[in-house]
Amino acid sequence: MVNTIIKTEKLCKTFSSGGIQQHVLKNLDISIEQGDFTIIMGSSGSGKSTLLYAISGMDKPTLGEIDFAGKEISQLNNDQLAIFRRNNCGFVFQQIYLLDNMSVLDNVLASGLLVNKNKRELVSKAKELLIQVGITENSWSKFPTQLSGGEAQRVGIVRAIINSPKVLFADEPTGALNSSSSGSVLDVFTNVNREGQSIILVTHDIKTALRGNRILYLRDGVICGDLKLGAYSESEDANRREKLRTFLSEMGW
Amino acid sequence: MNIINLAMANIRKNKSASVSLFIFILVAALLLNIGLMVITQINSFFDNKVEQLSDPHVSIMMDKASYHADYEAFLANYSRITNTETEEIIMMGSAKFDFGNSELNNSIIIFNAGNSRMMGPLKLIEKLNTSGANDIYIPYSFKTSGNYRLGDSFTIHYQNKDYEYRIAGFLETTMMGTNNVGVMKFMLPDTPYQALADKLDEQSDAMILSAVMEDKTQSTKLLNDFTKEFPQSVVGETTSYILGLDIEMVKSVNTLTVNIVATILVAFAAIIVLVSLIVIKFRVSNSIEDGMANIGALKALGYTSLQIVSSIILQFILIALSASMAGIALSYGLMPFIGGVVSALNGLVWEQSFDITINIVSILVVVLSVVIVTLLSAFRVRKILPVVALRGGIRTHSFRKNHFPLEKATGGLHFLLAIKSMLANAKQNTMILLIMIALTFASVFSMVLYYNIASDKTAFVNMFGSEPANVFIDVKPEADTREFLREIKQMDHVKKVNIFDLITTKVDGQTVYTNVTDRYDDLENNVVYEGRQPTHENEISISWVVSNQINKEIGDTVEVEYGAETKRYLVTGVSQSIGNLGQIAALTMDGIQQLQSDYQGSTLYVYLNDIKNKDFIKNLKEQYGDNIVETLDIDENIESQTGMYTAAVFAIMVMVLTITVLIVVMILYLVIKTMIIKRKKEFGVMKAIGYSTIQLMSQISISFLPVITAGVAIGGVLGYFFTNPMLSALLSSAGVKRLDFTIHLPTILILCVSIVILAYIVSLLVSRRIKYISAYGLITE
Repeated sequence: MVNTIIKTEKLCKTFSSGGIQQHVLKNLDISIEQGDFTIIMGSSGSGKSTLLYAISGMDKPTLGEIDFAGKEISQLNNDQLAIFRRNNCGFVFQQIYLLDNMSVLDNVLASGLLVNKNKRELVSKAKELLIQVGITENSWSKFPTQLSGGEAQRVGIVRAIINSPKVLFADEPTGALNSSSSGSVLDVFTNVNREGQSIILVTHDIKTALRGNRILYLRDGVICGDLKLGAYSESEDANRREKLRTFLSEMGW
Repeated sequence: MNIINLAMANIRKNKSASVSLFIFILVAALLLNIGLMVITQINSFFDNKVEQLSDPHVSIMMDKASYHADYEAFLANYSRITNTETEEIIMMGSAKFDFGNSELNNSIIIFNAGNSRMMGPLKLIEKLNTSGANDIYIPYSFKTSGNYRLGDSFTIHYQNKDYEYRIAGFLETTMMGTNNVGVMKFMLPDTPYQALADKLDEQSDAMILSAVMEDKTQSTKLLNDFTKEFPQSVVGETTSYILGLDIEMVKSVNTLTVNIVATILVAFAAIIVLVSLIVIKFRVSNSIEDGMANIGALKALGYTSLQIVSSIILQFILIALSASMAGIALSYGLMPFIGGVVSALNGLVWEQSFDITINIVSILVVVLSVVIVTLLSAFRVRKILPVVALRGGIRTHSFRKNHFPLEKATGGLHFLLAIKSMLANAKQNTMILLIMIALTFASVFSMVLYYNIASDKTAFVNMFGSEPANVFIDVKPEADTREFLREIKQMDHVKKVNIFDLITTKVDGQTVYTNVTDRYDDLENNVVYEGRQPTHENEISISWVVSNQINKEIGDTVEVEYGAETKRYLVTGVSQSIGNLGQIAALTMDGIQQLQSDYQGSTLYVYLNDIKNKDFIKNLKEQYGDNIVETLDIDENIESQTGMYTAAVFAIMVMVLTITVLIVVMILYLVIKTMIIKRKKEFGVMKAIGYSTIQLMSQISISFLPVITAGVAIGGVLGYFFTNPMLSALLSSAGVKRLDFTIHLPTILILCVSIVILAYIVSLLVSRRIKYISAYGLITE
């Protein structure tokens, strides 16, 4: 049975500046299923990131409702949203945003200790996850500036999943990386998704989009395409790529 | 021109930090200028007043019976005397009147305002337009410290009678204008003068001899020569009353407190300059770190280090220059208030003059300090290679440490994150530590000063060599003092009674005020700071002033002359006193009886328990009125005499505490605001991963607590141990060698805890800015 983890109703987001209103998201009704690896695509300014941050509790919608794992979050205040995020969401950013004054391990623990007070259990989990993403023990005491971009982003992913969030949100996670680093980071996403982690990822990179099992295409604040690709498999790469190209072509990409 | 534009742009960019710095430097320049102006002008101010008011340089007052024509001749023939004058006056050896909130017992001399005189003519600052039969002119200090206004009634209590007057004017005089020298000068118009003279006994008929010298700095010598020439005039005459005053002594007494207040202002200005310099160092370091990539680009383009450094330091020089000039200008606006304090302390109307030299010195001190510190801080730019700067300062080798790793460290998450933040900002925290030490020390210093002068006056009064009994009794010569003492001891509420006389003797030819009592161990105030008080009949203690004058130390013998007798005594101790020009000595009763075998003492000091002094005096007079010449409520007299010091010290304390609060608030505002701006990204990320605003605010506030607490603790400990030595140094010129001001620990603890709480609350409030940082804003930026 398929469980819906996020459901929006008539979700709107409007920005106004200098008296001019800009309707970025327009009456969006979206359902995200648990365990899905959902990719949000669209041209620049289409509202991809705005949608991602609205449904993750990072920002508040102008209108509409967001049901996140059975909880209505659109009316929560800032501190309630902070507590909601720490318990339910993980974030991976394009600029990575590790905390510069903390070591690799402390970056992960600073997030984990907010939720899990059992330090021993948490440390063990953090180390296990770091090893899983290829960050070996001799890097754990390094500072972020001493890591490569790919390594830093993999630490960022571990930080995002340390509290076993219901959904992992990623905004252009490979946007600042070279292609080999991108590959290793995407492998981590694929692996955690295979273990049941729901992921919503914004990208305009086809290679990244291929890792998802569902593609939502956004244009002018409206979902104008929804492609079911199925679970990622390296062996079907060519076939998936073709299917995606066709879809994007139809969307006017 | 480009560098100036760049500096202006930097000032605009860091508007609030620049404004804070501007205020610090303004306040520092203001205090420095006021302090220096007062210190440098007070002596010439006093000297000019002496000239303006045609005041005498030496005045010798005596009852008519003690007057000899030889005295006048001596003055007239003394070398370099330009003028002398002799005049009949009324002298009240021990008169009482209200002063401030209590009653003051003081000597008064009253001149006939109707007489013409060359020296010390009547100069009124304020006067009533109408005249009356009971008009009196009293010194200006009665207005500034005594709470009197023109037209108020004024009562003199003398020889058990009240004499009522109306204040018709306040007169200005350098010689006897305050109660600092023990005698005050009043004037009465001819009619009330004659009326008063008719009512008083012969003892109150007196003469004053006045002299003006070519060089008034010789006035002390003249007075000493006078007492040498006429030893009987001051020694051993219990029925006569002769008092000599010289202008140099009066000047040193009247300007002492003003000088101390001004020195404290300068010292506090130095602390604020120090705070400003620390802030500048912090800001220069920050601006170099923040602009590292720009510095690299400029270096790569071929700019020299000096050009780059100039662009960094110019903004601070512009701020320092403009703020110090504004501070100097503002100091002239505040001078009337300072002039009021000066007037309260010496009874003269302060005349402010423009002092360009001091103004320039103040500006130069501040600006040069800023230039030096800025240059030293900015010179690290020279050592940075362009490539390192372009990499944002990342060097080949990094020695950064991960303090308090979350994996191993014990403690709550937010506490650990706060400690990490604190350790990651070591330079900034060193700055806060130093500032908190300086501010807390200054606050403790001013608090101790105030506590000892306004609250528990024991140590302050001890400094003057006074004995802190409750009631003073002047016993009639015909009464048996010893028997009277025994009877008073039997009275209810009497804790103890001591004979404690102050007589004038000569020690190795030097006139010295000498205390006499049975056992010095029975007194409350031990003025001896080296050696001990005399216990045997052949022993004496002398003050360090006398010790220097006669060149004798502990273990030496001195010749003491009293009346017609002379004996040798062994010096057992060295004492200190601000009172009586520091010229004091002490003999035991057995000791003085070596010189006058029938000496029995005439002054009793009574220490009371659970009774008001006034009630005791009333009972005493009812029972033993026949034995008593005069009584004095010592507590009230002290209260009245210290009133002006209390006001001045209160002003200092309020100023120091206000500026402390202001600096704590501004420093924390500056540091936390800078921190939030610098770590905006970090706080955004933390919000994104689920930290709430209040958690981050607590982290920031807690991260400052250890350093603030440490600074306050160190400053408090320094204040605890070094306030007395510092005050002793300040007062050493006045005769204080050792100071035992009470360091009231609970007061200091309350003060320190209050500073920490204030700092914590300010940190919390300033860090509320973090509310405006949104995780979403971070991403969309």
